[in-house]
Amino acid sequence: MNADLAAFIGRRLAAALLFVVVVSCAAFVLVRIAPGDATTDLYMQRGGTAAVEETRARLGLDRPMVSHLASWATGLLTFDLGQSSVYGRPVAGLVKERAGATAALASLALLLAAAIGLPLGVLTASRPAIAAAVAPISIALVACPPIIAVLALLLLAIETGWLSIAQGSYAVPTLALALPLAAMLERLQSRAMAEALASPDLVAAAARGVPRGRLLWVHAARQSLRPVLGIAGAVVGTLFSGSLAVEMVTSWPGLGRLLFDAVAGRDLFLAAGCALVGAVLVAVSNLLADVARALIDPRVREAA
Amino acid sequence: MRRERIGLVVITLLAAAGVLYWVQASRGGSTGPAPAGVVRGGRLIATHRSEPQSFNRYASANPAEELFARLTQATLVRLNRATGELEPRLAREWSSSPDGLTWTVKLREGVRFSDGLPFTSSDVLFTFQVLYDKRVASPLAGSAMVGDNPLTVRALDTQTVVIVFPAVYGPGLAILDSLPILPEHKLRRAFESGTFKQAWGVATPASEFAGLGPFTLQEYVPGQRVVYQSNPEFWRTDDQGRKLPYLDQIEVQIVPEQSAEMLRLEAGTVDVTTDQVRAEDLAGLQALQARGVVTLNEAGVATNPEMFWLNLNPSSALAKTRPWSQRLELRQAISHAVDRRRIVDTVYLGAAEPIFSTVTPGYGEWYVPDLPPIEFDQTRARALLASIGLADRNGDGKLDDERGETARFAIVTQKGHTIRERTCAIIQEQLQAVGLTVDVVALERTAFFSQVLGGTYEAAFFQLIFDSFDPASQFDFWASSKGFHIWHPSQAKPATEWEARIDDLMVKQSTTLDRAERRRLFAEAQRVLAANQPVITFAAAKVVVATSARVGGAMPSVLAPPVLWNAEMLWLVPAPAGASGK
Repeated sequence: MNADLAAFIGRRLAAALLFVVVVSCAAFVLVRIAPGDATTDLYMQRGGTAAVEETRARLGLDRPMVSHLASWATGLLTFDLGQSSVYGRPVAGLVKERAGATAALASLALLLAAAIGLPLGVLTASRPAIAAAVAPISIALVACPPIIAVLALLLLAIETGWLSIAQGSYAVPTLALALPLAAMLERLQSRAMAEALASPDLVAAAARGVPRGRLLWVHAARQSLRPVLGIAGAVVGTLFSGSLAVEMVTSWPGLGRLLFDAVAGRDLFLAAGCALVGAVLVAVSNLLADVARALIDPRVREAA
Repeated sequence: MRRERIGLVVITLLAAAGVLYWVQASRGGSTGPAPAGVVRGGRLIATHRSEPQSFNRYASANPAEELFARLTQATLVRLNRATGELEPRLAREWSSSPDGLTWTVKLREGVRFSDGLPFTSSDVLFTFQVLYDKRVASPLAGSAMVGDNPLTVRALDTQTVVIVFPAVYGPGLAILDSLPILPEHKLRRAFESGTFKQAWGVATPASEFAGLGPFTLQEYVPGQRVVYQSNPEFWRTDDQGRKLPYLDQIEVQIVPEQSAEMLRLEAGTVDVTTDQVRAEDLAGLQALQARGVVTLNEAGVATNPEMFWLNLNPSSALAKTRPWSQRLELRQAISHAVDRRRIVDTVYLGAAEPIFSTVTPGYGEWYVPDLPPIEFDQTRARALLASIGLADRNGDGKLDDERGETARFAIVTQKGHTIRERTCAIIQEQLQAVGLTVDVVALERTAFFSQVLGGTYEAAFFQLIFDSFDPASQFDFWASSKGFHIWHPSQAKPATEWEARIDDLMVKQSTTLDRAERRRLFAEAQRVLAANQPVITFAAAKVVVATSARVGGAMPSVLAPPVLWNAEMLWLVPAPAGASGK
């Protein structure tokens, strides 16, 4: 590793760390200052004033926000994310098991999206007839929020019985996340391929008689990789935010649903823990994408 | 000779089969049809929208924990949620002293916890000790107080307890309906060490639990399901002496969205859902019922109608800036201006009844059918508004108060709750038709509660859920000193004469054992409330409960949980060969 690359990675790591700290602290503060707290539901269920006061004291809600945040941040140094008030369990264990479920879903969706979107992008860039058929579908899917995709797939599943909607089935949630992403990758790959094919070196290669298949699937595909890699971080962010709606509707026990429950129940530690893990995922994927781009293209690390 | 031998063999085989069947039936075995159509065994799939925070009912008061307690534990007595009658459970029989203060309760004999240890009066005493302990600060304690004072309990012997009430309490032992009896042998140590609230957390191994309910915990998979298996020690039998429960297992899947629950029910992958059917789902389910996929059961009229109320706290910003908002004539005008039939037809799609009181026909004997109905009459509403000085003073078509300011207020309600949002839209439109300017602000649930509890709202539209038909259980709504007297909570002394009158009537009805007198007093309280309309109700849903067609033995209730409250009596009809959910 040369010095430029090491410095580049160092800067990116520092920025990622700052991002993670800011996002998780912001989640803590925002949930803390939101109307209501973790005892509001208990009061509404006629839990009684004594139970409410005891719970507030136990959760630290009777303390000033700054000292509450400070004690949580101190716990972070020893990887103690606190105790969830909604689930009555340590946040670290909860987040770990739910992040695993989301990661499994997101990985499968990402693989499926890449397997569909990238080759289709190469084809639509090189074959106008295929592009004419695929592009409208892709545009519609790109514009389709995951909540609509999942509802449409559920309708399809109910009406046809082609897809299982049993609890734990991957079919509907994976497709709901993968299809809009595949469409986005197809559009991006198609545009990047078109630009690559029009570049002077590939025009020259074609003129030299390089076979069309090799030109497309080796030379142009490699050149088109950079813009696609550039959105890798954004893709992980999209998957994470999209998983919230999908997990709610399909009852998938993942991080998105956990974050929703945490915010709805004003569970400070859990909301902050979910935000922290989400931020780490986004930061790491951005970092890996940046490093990959820097390895492929020295101009990136010089510019940084 | 040969024929005789063959006949003998056949008779012997038939006799052996008969003996085997009898042995199996007398054991309460889990296979084969039992008499009268009941089939033993099988796994019922239910859904629930929330996840348990704890398995300790005395530490946590959410619906998921209540369901856990209903399935795995038992109470001394139980309110039959279909008939409203009090039933013996662990209490075999009881009697009270002439003054109604002292109740002697005989416990059922030979009852064992699911781990095989016997249930005695010592477990009852321990349960009450936990209930009122200040360190535990149980959310159940408030509902087990009479006039803010606890009951006292002592044991006469291992099978008899004496419960002394601090004052006469109208519903008597019904106060024990929500108190599951805890196994002292499992929880005494945690209680003594001050860690009771942490005991029976969601990470506790299933083997650590012991209960007196029809089921025991088998498995909890966070975020996915809670699985219960039948408790072999369960003490109850059906009318024909057959051991209960009929089911082998209940799997409660955690499905946070009601729409997702409905999809699973429609697809035939679940048998029972958390709640009653929403109006918008009814038509689809009726079609599925016609095809034999689901069964729809009418449980009655809902006991928890949506309520509209104005903030009547005289120190609120609304009262200070818009004094007209506190006038009875405004509330009467609102009640006349809104067409209840339209709400029934468009919001509930016909599956509701227009109502004029918070006490709906679902309350049975406590319902007062002759309360004067409030006609939809916008002319009358305009006249009432004019009588408090609201008039269109600048010709913009909107009413203004005497200072020339637009007569305006905001209704807060819960975001994402279609019934509430749609009803508020109709209220807004119909009040605008009589000149009142209304804003509707839909807030996320906790933010809504926060605003209402903080008293920083102008008007609200929501429902209160009561766990019983008995008016004594609603004391915190009717009494002016209580926190759920929603239009003006926690008053040091009644702010109005009519609230003082209601307080008096409610105290009398809850401290009288004469049921007819209680009905008379509560009817009078309802009349006083109806005359002053601090809360306005428009419609009460007809509660329809959907189950898959294979569920037998359901006794649907308007109270939650509508089906699983009586899980021990549920059974599954075997699907005919080749049948499917879709």
